[in-house]
Amino acid sequence: MISSRWDDSGFATSPEFIRISNVQGPLRELCPPLKENEAVLDRSKTAAFTSNVSPSEQNSPATHSDFASNSHRFSLAILIFGVALMAAQEPGNAANTPDYDRDIKPIFQQRCYSCHSRLKQKSNLRLDAGSLIHKGGKHGPAVLPGNSAESLLLKRVLSTDDDERMPPEEKPLTAGQVTLLRGWIDAGAPYPKDETIPKTPAEHWAFQLVQRPGLPVVKDRTRIRNQIDPFILAKLEERAWKPAAPAQPRALLRRVYLDLIGLPPTLDEQERFLASPTDEALDRVIDELLRRPAYGERWARHWLDVVRYADSNGYERDAEKPFVWRYRDYVIDAFNADKPFNRFVIEQLAGDELSDACAETMIATGFQRLGHWDDEPADPPTDRFDQLDDIVSTTAQAFLGLTLGCARCHDHKFEPLSTVDYYSMVSIFSPLERPQKGRTELAVPVGLPAQVAALAERDHQIARLKQQTNTLAASEIERRIQQLRIIRPDLPQAYIMQEPSRAAAVTHVLLRGSPTRSGQIVSPAVPAVLAKQQPVFPPPGKRSSQRRLGLAQWMASPENPLTARVIVNRVWQQHFGQGLVRTPNDFGVMGEPPTHPELLDWLAHWFAHDAQWSLKRLHRLILASNAWRMSHAKNPDYAASDPDERLLWRMPYRRLEAEAIRDSMLAVSGQLNLKMSGPAMKPPIQQAALEANTDKESIWKSSSETEASRRTVYAFIKRGLVVPMLEVLDLGDTVHSCPQRQVTTVAPQALSLFNGEFVNQQARRFAARIRRESGSDLRQQIEFAWRVALCRAPAEVETTAMLKFREREVEQSALEQICRVILNLNEFVYPE
Amino acid sequence: MNFPNRCIPNRTPCGQTRREFLWQVGGGFAGLALIDLLSRSGFPGWNTRAAATSPLAPRSPHFAAKANHCVFLFMNGGPSQVDTFDPKPALTRFNGSPYKGDAKVGSNGRPIGHLMQSPFEFKNHGRSGLEISSLFPHTAKFADDLCVVRSMFSDTAAHASGCLQMNTGSIFIGKPSLGAWLSYGLGTENANLPSYVVMTDPRGGPIGSASNWTGGYMPAAYQGTLFRSGGSPLLDLATPEGTSDRTQRHSLDLLKQLNEEHLKQHPDESELVARIESYELAYRMQTAAASVVDVEREDSATKEMYGLNEKRTADFGRKCLITRRLLEKGVRFIQLYSGGGHIEDTWDGHNDCIENHKLHAGETDKPIAALMADLKRTGLWDETLIVWGGEFGRTPTSEGLGKPGRDHDWHGFSMWLAGAGVKGGQAIGATDELGFKAVENPCHVGDLHATILHLMGLDHTKLTYFHQGLNQRLTGVLDRRVIAQVLA
Repeated sequence: MISSRWDDSGFATSPEFIRISNVQGPLRELCPPLKENEAVLDRSKTAAFTSNVSPSEQNSPATHSDFASNSHRFSLAILIFGVALMAAQEPGNAANTPDYDRDIKPIFQQRCYSCHSRLKQKSNLRLDAGSLIHKGGKHGPAVLPGNSAESLLLKRVLSTDDDERMPPEEKPLTAGQVTLLRGWIDAGAPYPKDETIPKTPAEHWAFQLVQRPGLPVVKDRTRIRNQIDPFILAKLEERAWKPAAPAQPRALLRRVYLDLIGLPPTLDEQERFLASPTDEALDRVIDELLRRPAYGERWARHWLDVVRYADSNGYERDAEKPFVWRYRDYVIDAFNADKPFNRFVIEQLAGDELSDACAETMIATGFQRLGHWDDEPADPPTDRFDQLDDIVSTTAQAFLGLTLGCARCHDHKFEPLSTVDYYSMVSIFSPLERPQKGRTELAVPVGLPAQVAALAERDHQIARLKQQTNTLAASEIERRIQQLRIIRPDLPQAYIMQEPSRAAAVTHVLLRGSPTRSGQIVSPAVPAVLAKQQPVFPPPGKRSSQRRLGLAQWMASPENPLTARVIVNRVWQQHFGQGLVRTPNDFGVMGEPPTHPELLDWLAHWFAHDAQWSLKRLHRLILASNAWRMSHAKNPDYAASDPDERLLWRMPYRRLEAEAIRDSMLAVSGQLNLKMSGPAMKPPIQQAALEANTDKESIWKSSSETEASRRTVYAFIKRGLVVPMLEVLDLGDTVHSCPQRQVTTVAPQALSLFNGEFVNQQARRFAARIRRESGSDLRQQIEFAWRVALCRAPAEVETTAMLKFREREVEQSALEQICRVILNLNEFVYPE
Repeated sequence: MNFPNRCIPNRTPCGQTRREFLWQVGGGFAGLALIDLLSRSGFPGWNTRAAATSPLAPRSPHFAAKANHCVFLFMNGGPSQVDTFDPKPALTRFNGSPYKGDAKVGSNGRPIGHLMQSPFEFKNHGRSGLEISSLFPHTAKFADDLCVVRSMFSDTAAHASGCLQMNTGSIFIGKPSLGAWLSYGLGTENANLPSYVVMTDPRGGPIGSASNWTGGYMPAAYQGTLFRSGGSPLLDLATPEGTSDRTQRHSLDLLKQLNEEHLKQHPDESELVARIESYELAYRMQTAAASVVDVEREDSATKEMYGLNEKRTADFGRKCLITRRLLEKGVRFIQLYSGGGHIEDTWDGHNDCIENHKLHAGETDKPIAALMADLKRTGLWDETLIVWGGEFGRTPTSEGLGKPGRDHDWHGFSMWLAGAGVKGGQAIGATDELGFKAVENPCHVGDLHATILHLMGLDHTKLTYFHQGLNQRLTGVLDRRVIAQVLA
């Protein structure tokens, strides 16, 4: 039974269980040490176990100390066990037969599942269903009904031989637990006959190829606008629920503008639509908005969240990433050009390795370099793998919705992802190097391969010329250099990684994630559970290993079950506030199951086939649905029964993100600067907020008001100093992939939006605009302001309140005050 | 029903339904009951509606807490252990001779000098006879209250990652800080003030600035709030220039009126209710925060005690006095930085460790002692934990030959704890004979964090937050332990 001795510790595999109980044990059991701790693995034992277990187990480094070398610890365990035996029995089980669900299952969950359930089946034994317990494993049935003394389960649990005793890790079962097991077996080991056997992870829905389900049949055809609606409506009709009525045209107009371009409609745009506010007119508005550059500025930001975009590295110097904004512009352009999403994926992973590589596709690979970076790492070998981990983890989350990063030090505890899967992915990215000169990062010239090569040759010639000081006059050298530069001008610079050679170094599994402890050699591969057959990785090309190209092509192929599902879900989430899968970066076993699985698959299949990976077509489809055009009307009965609004019986109510709030204010005040692309701008940060920085005088040079009035997607994101107003409005994590913004409501937001200089400045500009454009009558001014900001006229009671306010205030600033109030209204940040 | 407290992984970001939100922040139903209680017993700023929606609503600890509040006196730059709390007679014996041990000395390729004795005299203090150097004549009066851990160690030689590790448990950016974990785990008792306050040095902040008090992947509500010791203490706290207090109030009233009109169309939207209340809360914060920093009404003896009348101690003294006032108002976690900017403006005595430490100890010793005396006077001592120390220590060798500077030493350094739940009058653990490396009872930064959480009533293995597929925790994935000897 060597294999059992080397089983990983841990206790939980089912998500249900983890959600409720995992804090009962130390997290150490959930995620073993990253680095070695004092209880090191005895190398001689490693040899013993590698010769006796299956290959998959070899990949799982043992995580616990050898009991034989810790005999004192084991004696202690026996002592505790003895004391426990003398202690009082645990409540509620002495007289009655233990209940399988209440008493028995939790014991298995806590102590046995990590090795004997759907995720792993050491000795072929599973304990996560009654029928499987009776069936047993390779040593025979685990229980003999009615005979606990002869049952293998009890024998192993009570064994004093530390090679035999189960579970092998931590303390033995308590006396109370043993009593429960004994009572249960003696009672015949009963279990509910209808108990379902948990599926193995390979059977997990998200790992199956996408197939298109048929449309459900629904009764009420009047609420069907397109293929999306039957899926939503069918679930509602199961409960005899009705979807909320369509929102008012004005509300829909404002919603569609904010959704697609992150800006409110202007008065002209309102008038044009409201002259004939039909569904078809709204379809046309959608088409028109999708053609605007503002669409890319809005939607790029969502993707930038997912890929952990920031303009600086973090840490002591928190240096600016040179030319990183070109990646941001690339994403904006990609959305605006409706670049097919599969191509978008390929370019970011392997744009430099494509046969049609060019500046644009090379800039796309900036994705790989967006992470945080310590230019003075505590431990350089570890740092190298930390950087690779950042790329691998982000790639897995962004494109596949998988938490592969958890398999860096050990096989994933809850997902069918092994360290071999992880390091196979590492081997794909490990040929990459960060162009740098000491602590200074270097950018890379990008263009067609021939241009890049020619530029390199030019620089080589210049370098040679500079050495010819003996044979040439300085002026002549300078002249020739100038000439070379004219013939072959500089190329644009981009912030990307590079493969210095086409040959890739060998990658090993790192035992426990330690760079000093190499395990087996791995080669490029995609996570085994996702591919019945591994994709063929191309051989090294002229300039690079082409490993990323292999990965990218698989990512974008129909053989990949996740890519389309994951992106369709992200788009859905931006339109509805919540994804169909509410864990957008985690489609694994631990992720939440989809609220509408058939709809998700239908959309994913439609997207990859009918829509040819066009995001704009996906937007059109979603926004044309009846579901998206519902109002926020809340049915209290539905809300009581479905508080999380998983069934989409209304349009979920939600606050705008920081960028849309700030941009809307700029638009309303008339200050919005539509300048696109280029280096980031720095919104003013008040001196008080800079005081806490080491270099408080130099850390932040605010841009001019004009420059700072550009859209927020162009604001510099400094990891060590996030613009306070954006930070307080839940801009979110700038270091890791951020799949969804948080929405919190706290007093500092009110301070920032009511007292902060930005909003007060916009209020002043807004007031000036009102005076300019709507005349001097206060009633008219108010109506103008209300329409511009909220897309509707104020109700009489609202007008009266503002007029009354005006009466109590001094002449000059009353309108400014009213504007400040409008920009702070709930309705301003919670669109209908 | 038994809902396990604080154990629902934060699988989906907050702000969906409020009910879900409460689950995520771990309040559960026990939390709701507590909120109800609090709202009736009058915790400042909390009423039932606000509490039910706030990420900072008070929550009960895992077990009875020894301390309700924590003050972290962060000696930014890294104080030298052998000059402060870890006397090494052997250093005097070997003064000027080269170091021959196996510890990696110094950082970043800086020059390595010879062993350098401390010029500061160590004496036994109090009934316990705890040894403290002459740098701290005032703190030494509280020798019987201090628990010095002489065997601290960390994982890094650099300030950025060192400060990050001491504050967030990790050498990487982006992880929530200790104060964020406490805010997340316990909420705040006073909604009118931030639960987690940070006051930095007038010379600048620590390296990494806000990364050191960030909420990381948690909602921004848990991050540390910078607090200035004069004028308008919080960002955007003051009424905008040109707006009178009267107009400010009228404008807020108008906002409230219009928002409540809007709420009539959306009667059950708790997020809208919460947002309306957040403006009132902000308004109350204006008064509450401003009055906390108004120390003028303190009597002259108190001002004298904190060193407000001396140039050297005035700034840190004022912060210590404000700390007491914040503690009185129920603020959960307060972090004070001594030293800011670079090198000699912090405790980072590369050039002249002796003069450096005289300066920084001189600025802080008296105010810290005053804070301890004042906490004892007001009874807050029994519910407040005080932690003193920097991101690492300094080498027993000089930096370069014959120079009085010391380089970074992360293999062994000293910190002290005092106050609620701490067994004072003792030094635990030990570095080697020369003071390089922790050899007896080595305590990792993570062990210190586990201990602080424990004293605050939280089990570091159970205080988790779900992020990136894992229940994250302050103390990470390695085995960390509560330092048992610290506990009273």
